[in-house]
Amino acid sequence: MEPQSCVNIHKEWDIVGARQLGREMAKKLGFGTVDQARIATAVSELARNIYLYAEKGQICFEIIDNIEHRGLCMTAVDSGPGISDISQAMQDGYTTSGGLGAGLPGVKRLMDEFDINSEIGEGTRIKAIKWVR
Amino acid sequence: MNLTMNVIEENEKSILNVSGEIDAYTAPKLKETLLPLTKEEEKTVEVNLENVNYMDSTGLGVFISALKSAKESNSKLTLVNLQDRVLRIFEITGLDDIIDIRAAIRGGNE
Amino acid sequence: MEEVISKNASSYKRLLRSYMESQDEQALYGVEKVSKAFIKNNILPEEIVNLHIQAMADICKDLTDEYKHSMNFLLEAMIFYGLAMQEIPLLREEKHVLQSEISVAASMQQTLLGTSKPEIEGLDIGVISVPAHQMNGDYHHFVKGKDGSLGIAIADVIGKGIPAALCMSMIKYAMDSYPEESMSPKSILKNLNRVVERNVDQSMFITMCYAHYQPEESKLSFSSAGHEPGFYYNAETDTFKEFDTKGLVLGVSPDADYKEYELTINKNDMVILLTDGVTECRDGDRFIENEEVLDIIKKYSELPAQEMVENVYKHFERLQDFQLRDDFTLLVLRKNM
Repeated sequence: MEPQSCVNIHKEWDIVGARQLGREMAKKLGFGTVDQARIATAVSELARNIYLYAEKGQICFEIIDNIEHRGLCMTAVDSGPGISDISQAMQDGYTTSGGLGAGLPGVKRLMDEFDINSEIGEGTRIKAIKWVR
Repeated sequence: MNLTMNVIEENEKSILNVSGEIDAYTAPKLKETLLPLTKEEEKTVEVNLENVNYMDSTGLGVFISALKSAKESNSKLTLVNLQDRVLRIFEITGLDDIIDIRAAIRGGNE
Repeated sequence: MEEVISKNASSYKRLLRSYMESQDEQALYGVEKVSKAFIKNNILPEEIVNLHIQAMADICKDLTDEYKHSMNFLLEAMIFYGLAMQEIPLLREEKHVLQSEISVAASMQQTLLGTSKPEIEGLDIGVISVPAHQMNGDYHHFVKGKDGSLGIAIADVIGKGIPAALCMSMIKYAMDSYPEESMSPKSILKNLNRVVERNVDQSMFITMCYAHYQPEESKLSFSSAGHEPGFYYNAETDTFKEFDTKGLVLGVSPDADYKEYELTINKNDMVILLTDGVTECRDGDRFIENEEVLDIIKKYSELPAQEMVENVYKHFERLQDFQLRDDFTLLVLRKNM
C-alpha cells in the first residue's frame, strides 16, 4: 500500500483542499470523470460533517492497489462529540437530508464501501472506498 | 385559498386581523399566531374575522385552545365582525355562550 | 445500469448528430424515448451529462477547452441531483408502508366501531358514512332496547384522520358501558361530556346528536352537543324544519348541561341526521346551502331510506369531483306505518 496523504479540516476553506486532493488522487488512479466528481462530493460531505459538528478533524486518502482491486480509500477522523444514534444518522430519507439526499447516506451511495465507528465524547471514524471499475 | 394575518398592538390590546379561510390546512397557522397573544398576562385579544368567509370545525378547536389559554393568563378573548356563515358554527356548537363574540357585520359576502 | 447506458449511448450519439445537422423534430422525439429508458432504469443525471460529453467529443473534433470545462462544471452540478433522485424510490416505499399500516388501522376501526342497522317495525332506516380519507372521524351507532326502542348516536370529532378516529373509539366504549334504555339523551350527553373533557387533548372535541325513538308512542326525544342540526320532514305539509337544538360541544367545559327536545312522528314523516361533511359540501368555490341538501333529499324521497341516502351521497360526491373534503355521514329515519 502507498503511504497516506492527509488534509486537516479546520476551516470551511479546508473542505476545498480535501476535495482537490481527493480528486487528484482519483484522477491518478484512472477514475472516469463521473466517478471523480462523485468522490469529490463524498469528500466534501465528510469534510463538511467534520467542520460542522466536530470543528476539527482529518481526512486521509490511501491508494489500494493489489492483484484483485484498485481503488481509493478515504478515512475521515474527528475527535468531536460522536454520533449517539448511528442507525438514525444512516437512515435514508427526508428526515436526515431534508430531501437533498445528502449526509452520510449520500456518502454511502457515492462510494462502494462504507464503514463507521463512533464513540460518544471521543469521536467518529468513517472509512469509505471506491473501486476503479 | 390562503389565510393571511396581521397583528396590531395597542396599549392593553392586541388586534389580530384574519382574512381568508380557516380549515384543517390553515388552522395550524392561525394557532401559531393566536396562541402566543393569549399567553400574555392581562391583555385583551381581539380577533377580527371580518374577512374570513369560511371556517370549518378545526377553526373552533383553535379558538377553544385560545380561550383556555387566555383564561390562564387572565386575558380576554373577543371575536368581532363575524360573517353569518362563521357565526352559525359558533352558535350550533354552543360556543357563542362561552366565547365573547360580537358579530357586528351581518350578511357578509359569499 | 452500465448496460443500459452503453445500449442507449449509441442511439443518443446518433440522435444528437442528426439534430446538430438538421435540428429535426424526429431526433427530439427520439431522445425523448431514450430519456424515458434512462429514467426507467434510474440512470442518474451526471451519467447523462457524461454521455453527452463523450458523444460531443466524438461528433466534433474541434471542441474548445471552454466548452469542455463548462460541461465538466455542469457534470459536477448534477451530482447532488443524482443523490436526491436516489432517495425517491425509498420515500415511495416508506409511503407505501405507512399507507398499508393506515389501511390496517382503518379496517380495525371499522370492526371496532361497527354498528348494524336494526330492524324496527314501522321504521325505515337508511345510513351512509364515508370517510374523506382512510380513517373516519364521523361515527354513528344504533342501540336497540329490549323495550323495542331505538337509540341513535351520530357524532363528529373535530379534526380529521387518525387522531379523530382514535378518539372515537373511546366514545364508543364509554357508550357501550351505559345502560342505554334507562338513560335519556341528555344524560348520555352529560356523561360523555365528562369522559371527553377528562380524557382528550385540549384542542380536540366532539359534536354529537343523540336521539331516542319509542315506537309505541311514535315519539322521538333528542339532545345535541353542538352537533350540526338535523331536519324533520313533515309529510302532511311537505315541509322540512331544521332542528333548533342548542348545546355545547363535548369536551369543552366539565359542567355542561343539555336540553332535551321531543317530537311526535307521523306516517311518512322523516328525521334526517347528518354531519357537517354533508352541509359543508362545496361546488367549486361555492358552498352549498342547506336548501340544496334538502332539495336533493326530497328528490330521492320516494326511494327506500337506504337507497335514498346512497343517492344523496352520490350526488354530492359527484358535485365535489369525487374528492370529499370531510367525512360524510347521513342518516334517515322514516316512519312507514
